[in-house]
Amino acid sequence: MIRVQDVTRDYGNFRAVDSVSFSIGPGEIVGFLGPNGAGKSTLLKMLCTYLPPSSGTLEIVGHDVVKDSLTVRSLIGYLPEHNALFETMRVSKLLTFIGKARGLSGALLEERIAWVTQAMTLGDVLKNKVKECSKGFRQRIGLACALIHDPPVILLDEPTHGLDPLQVVAFRDFIHELSEDRAILFSSHILAEVAEISDRLLVLQKGRLCMDETMQELTARGTKENLSLEQLVIRALEQSSQAREAKA
Amino acid sequence: MSAPSNIPRRAGFLTGIRLVCGRELSAFFDSAIAYVYLISALVLLSSLFMNEFFLTGRLDMTPFFDSLAPISIFLLPAVTMRLWAEDKKTRTFELWMTLPMRPGQVVLGKFGAALALYGMFLAGTFPIVIMLMNLGDPDLGLIASGYLGALLLGGLFLAFGTFLSGLTGDQIVAFVSSVLCGFLFLSTGHPKVVAVIDGMSPELGAGTWLADHVAALPHYENFLRGLIKLSSIVWFVGLSSVFLWMNTLFVEKDRS
Repeated sequence: MIRVQDVTRDYGNFRAVDSVSFSIGPGEIVGFLGPNGAGKSTLLKMLCTYLPPSSGTLEIVGHDVVKDSLTVRSLIGYLPEHNALFETMRVSKLLTFIGKARGLSGALLEERIAWVTQAMTLGDVLKNKVKECSKGFRQRIGLACALIHDPPVILLDEPTHGLDPLQVVAFRDFIHELSEDRAILFSSHILAEVAEISDRLLVLQKGRLCMDETMQELTARGTKENLSLEQLVIRALEQSSQAREAKA
Repeated sequence: MSAPSNIPRRAGFLTGIRLVCGRELSAFFDSAIAYVYLISALVLLSSLFMNEFFLTGRLDMTPFFDSLAPISIFLLPAVTMRLWAEDKKTRTFELWMTLPMRPGQVVLGKFGAALALYGMFLAGTFPIVIMLMNLGDPDLGLIASGYLGALLLGGLFLAFGTFLSGLTGDQIVAFVSSVLCGFLFLSTGHPKVVAVIDGMSPELGAGTWLADHVAALPHYENFLRGLIKLSSIVWFVGLSSVFLWMNTLFVEKDRS
């Protein structure tokens, strides 16, 4: 459902993403981990068609994100890192607007609004303006906007940012429930969170993919080498840095 | 939970424009912008007109349309300055650009909202027409022609204002650049300005060239005289379309 083939993205002389390749199938929840500036958000922005790649190809459900960007946008649910929303709109109006912009209407639109309202527990704030909502609610409104059209591919940039611990647990359960038949790619700084939610881990460092393993493989390797998950990730990051320095 | 649909779904072209237009128009009214704009514009222009009306006693709206053009230099950039600049500042630009809509739909929707607000202002001046009709027998054709000219001139100002707002993330920069652009479009058609520019380099005739090709004032004055010329309509609509097209290109370019 998501296919990234040898993708590179440059900002002037700075290479944010460097020859990254991976693919994600239906039913997979993939965690995207990496330090600040690793290129996670850039890669997600390319997948959601906001940024074009400098080279390489990205496909969503078989559609090229550059050549067929409108189709791709209609097939993805995207929660950006900063989750900017139309501040002066009421939450109910915002959901209706996003739903209509995504081609929903009539009974289907009402049904989807009711579903996201219940799933994100937005009932109490539907009549509020977005700017009046707390950070946790704003994050849930952003998620509701990303999911209102029931997309087969879900891209979430730091989705638990601003959620309290109870909400994080609820979000984790919700993502598992959602993952059936859908491809979910989400980024995070927090290893424990990624390990709890995802089936597979991608680790980026300075734009390069330095780890791509399922949680089962990682657990088995950790047991075999007597290393924790954290130690395995740190070792992968160090090895990637050393390889880069040696190459330089 | 039901299986997701892999069939792409999105709003139609006109539906998309209407949605964006509705959202932007409600954004004007959600803040104080629309109310302040409509009330101040109506009070200012109606006062100027009534002053002229009591002095001359003519059943004619030409003084109103005469004063509308220079005041539009400041009034209309106040509407357009936020259209894109605010989206860039608040990062909602990314939200627009990841919805399944063409950039042209968003540009036309935003322009449509600004034009609708300006239309509300023009509709707010209809009591003047009713007053003139109650007082005597004004030339309604001339008044209608003046309104058409005002709509086309406003459309041009809003089109380049929307375009300039798309070039920056700063509303003040968008406002000032739109005011300067509006001043250029109007001043280049003024006889004194044409004479001054021509006088600087008579062999080039730059002032006359600007008045013939760039100035909006001669086209606008045709409407004020009751002359609805196709060439003037084409000039206004064509130039406005060019600005909106450039806006679409720059919005697309901004993503990269």
